[in-house]
Amino acid sequence: MEQDVQVLYNVFHEPPLGFWIALYFYMTGLSAGSFILSTLSYGFGLKKYKPIGFIGVVLATVLLVLAPLNLIIDLGRPERFWHLFPYLNVRSPVTWGSFLLTIYPINCLIYAYFMRKKNDRMTKIFGLIGIPLAISVHGYTGFILALSKARALWNTAVMPILFLVSAMVSGIALMILVVQIRKLFAPPGARATYDAILVDLGRILAASILADLFLIFSDVLVLFTADTEAREAAIMILSLDFSPLFLGVEVFLGSLVPLAILALPQLNKRPGWLSLAAACVMLGILAMRYIMVIGGQHLPLS
Amino acid sequence: MATRWAMVVDLRRCIGCHACQVACKAEMGTPLGVYRNWVKVVQKGRYPNVSLSFLPSFCNHCENPICVRNCPTQATYRREDGIVMQDPHRCIGCKYCMASCPYDVRFLDPLKGIVQKCTWCHHRLDVGLEPACVNACPTRALIFGDLGDPESEVAQVLARNAVQVLKPEKDTLPHVFYIGADMVAMRTYGGAEAREVEVDWVRWFLAKIGLLRPRAPVRE
Repeated sequence: MEQDVQVLYNVFHEPPLGFWIALYFYMTGLSAGSFILSTLSYGFGLKKYKPIGFIGVVLATVLLVLAPLNLIIDLGRPERFWHLFPYLNVRSPVTWGSFLLTIYPINCLIYAYFMRKKNDRMTKIFGLIGIPLAISVHGYTGFILALSKARALWNTAVMPILFLVSAMVSGIALMILVVQIRKLFAPPGARATYDAILVDLGRILAASILADLFLIFSDVLVLFTADTEAREAAIMILSLDFSPLFLGVEVFLGSLVPLAILALPQLNKRPGWLSLAAACVMLGILAMRYIMVIGGQHLPLS
Repeated sequence: MATRWAMVVDLRRCIGCHACQVACKAEMGTPLGVYRNWVKVVQKGRYPNVSLSFLPSFCNHCENPICVRNCPTQATYRREDGIVMQDPHRCIGCKYCMASCPYDVRFLDPLKGIVQKCTWCHHRLDVGLEPACVNACPTRALIFGDLGDPESEVAQVLARNAVQVLKPEKDTLPHVFYIGADMVAMRTYGGAEAREVEVDWVRWFLAKIGLLRPRAPVRE
């Protein structure tokens, strides 16, 4: 039964997590994706990908050193950030993060050091240690949202895996752009190897985008059939405040357009088009982080 | 039994005067723009069949508080007597507790940069006084006391009345109980902003796959 209802007075507090947090999720995602690509040759012995091994770990380290700065800027009392260690709470995903964000960059540096020293055995060991760390350092951010039970858009089991797959998507796209630049500085004889890697990266990117689209579809479909708040959240991203970002940027520009470019044989080997697809993907995933963090808090709770 | 503070809000007595809200602001010196408690006011119906519903809203001092679980520095903790506290010296202002709380009763103190909340006036309780909001309520709609003491008014009112809590599906086990709360006042959207799909082709598609909710009947 519908009634004439009007809320005359209510209090809403400012949404706690802002753009800095969305940017932080974006950067850890890029870092984890880059690291996984780096281990293709040094961890799993796929020699073909050796040229991107070092690029990957440099990207992973730089992004992961910068990412926590977003978190510290976002704190109400930034000078107290060290409280996270002595007063830790093992049940809180934020505490898991404070340790992962410390260990992961250190592992990245050791891995890069042995790679530079051409010590293949040690590189492999630290590369393989790094894989679960990379998965955790981004996967835990999915748990940060999933375990905040207040918000319907976050409190789903698909969130951590959605974050991991989108991290892979954005990491590959970043790698494509960086490899294009790296190719410009390579001796003419070596460019063919980079071109071959680019074609492969394009294929992995297309497969990851498909996986990401499936997870988004699954998420929205289940939100629609769950409780009232979940339904409101689904409607919000499909048709109201966040639909231009969700349907326009994340799904169309960030997934369908790159997928079309990567599927067309006339386009998917041309560097310009490949870069365009990668740039679209990076924009789409940034939109996804923004929708998840800001959009997730858009619906009032009181 | 050990002390377990609890509150019953008897909405049959509430007149929507906001005295609890004012008393809280005065007692705690809460900064402008943020509130430790407030009275949500919802109007429903059409003249002449119309009514106001009130919902005094505070921290629910949950038995299973998600904020305590998620606080990374243990700045938020549960006292033995059930009060969910916020340590102002420990809090780093990460706001994760605010993101986790299903009731939006936590806020970032704009002056101190830390998260603050209702503590049921623990400083008054500890010297034998009742919370400021309870003290100010002119109709005694706010009933506060020790649930562990079967002789207390709150325990007896709770035992004798049909009560409900906010968002029980969140499994937080709130300890603010409401008597006679209206459904639309308890609902997050107050029923007023029930949203529907507005993009035509999305609506068409959802109708095709059977996910569209029937629209409210048009009233003359």
